[in-house]
Amino acid sequence: MIELLALLVEDALFSAVPAVGFAMVFNVPTRMLGFCAIGGAFAHSLRTLCIYWGVPLEWATLVASTSVGLIGVYWSRRYLIPRPVFTVASIIPMIPGSYAFTTMVGIISLYSNGFSEPLLATIIENGLRTMFILMALSFGLAIPSVVIYRGRPIV
Amino acid sequence: MLRSFRNSPEPVQAPVRIISLEQQTRICRVAVQAGRIMQQHGAESKLIEETTVRLGKALGLDSVELAITANALILTGLSQGRCITTTRRVYDRGINMHMVCEVQRITIMAEKQLLDVDDVVKRLERLQPYKHNRWLVVFMIGMSCACFSRLFGGDWAVFAMTFVASAIAMLFRQEMAHRHHNPILNFGMTAFVATTIAGLAVRYDIGNQPQTVMAASVLLLVPGFPLINAVSDMVKGHISMGISRWFFASLLSLGVAMGIALSMWATGVSGWL
Repeated sequence: MIELLALLVEDALFSAVPAVGFAMVFNVPTRMLGFCAIGGAFAHSLRTLCIYWGVPLEWATLVASTSVGLIGVYWSRRYLIPRPVFTVASIIPMIPGSYAFTTMVGIISLYSNGFSEPLLATIIENGLRTMFILMALSFGLAIPSVVIYRGRPIV
Repeated sequence: MLRSFRNSPEPVQAPVRIISLEQQTRICRVAVQAGRIMQQHGAESKLIEETTVRLGKALGLDSVELAITANALILTGLSQGRCITTTRRVYDRGINMHMVCEVQRITIMAEKQLLDVDDVVKRLERLQPYKHNRWLVVFMIGMSCACFSRLFGGDWAVFAMTFVASAIAMLFRQEMAHRHHNPILNFGMTAFVATTIAGLAVRYDIGNQPQTVMAASVLLLVPGFPLINAVSDMVKGHISMGISRWFFASLLSLGVAMGIALSMWATGVSGWL
């Protein structure tokens, strides 16, 4: 139990920093950076908790991004700010960057080193994982406007 | 947009507002300008469409129709049966959420009748993109990628090496962007720089998993915002915008992969696959 808690706290700390870092690259206003940190820490540790309970990675990602999307509705209505300002920065730590680059580097080496079945398997597996995680992430963020606020603006 | 018309209440007839042709032209220009600022700074299509329509109606148009394409906006404003159509070329000016927030705020104020057309024009003209201090960004991005390396299971030596590699890469990326280089070229060359520095960790066997440094130090180049925008556009019905954003993000990733491959070939250090 203590181990799990320590894991989650470490997870939250190490994902709050990237959320703020990338939020600064997107020029999120300074007073909103704290919300990005909270969102990033919450989302990533929730996903880690789901994976700990045995939920597959993509579904865990969907759960995490849906909850960020719902929290984002509350914050955006309260501060009159469009939702992507918090939500996209919050889910940045969950973006499958290294899977995406592994796919692309694999495609290049399929050409330069010649065809081999394990290499093709790596490319397909990483490519599909990238796609499904990305779909889970952005569909989760879209759920409030697709399911609750149909056709109405959130702010 | 599927909606049930059976249960919807009787449409409320809004009072017809009489505006002159000049005023109508002016409002169309303001509305398309607001949409343009949003698209140039990386808002998703639904937000662009929603804001433009709301601003146009708040300022007195009967209806606003907006067509969004990858690099132009076409807007038609209707009033008393007259149509005015105007097109604006959209240039990418980098993701800036501050500008998106400000345009949204101006729209809400216009909707509450706190601003008239002249005020909106003045406020939109006055908007200047806010940028965070570049050295702070370099530090934070270095820390971000270093944190990713910890999440992948690296130790503190790996953390330090990732910090150095990605902070230098971020500095390089800023310099390239400042000189208005093509983004794909910028991402490829930045990936080359990051991977070459990270390759030192593998060569001198620093830390418990030197390969992690190579994987984590290029994560500052993940086109996260374009990818998320692409999927949300497609989910919300803007399929063609979604496809063009998805393709652009894929090209950026391919550029990054080219940079990584070139560096691995030049230095003979391999970290991927």
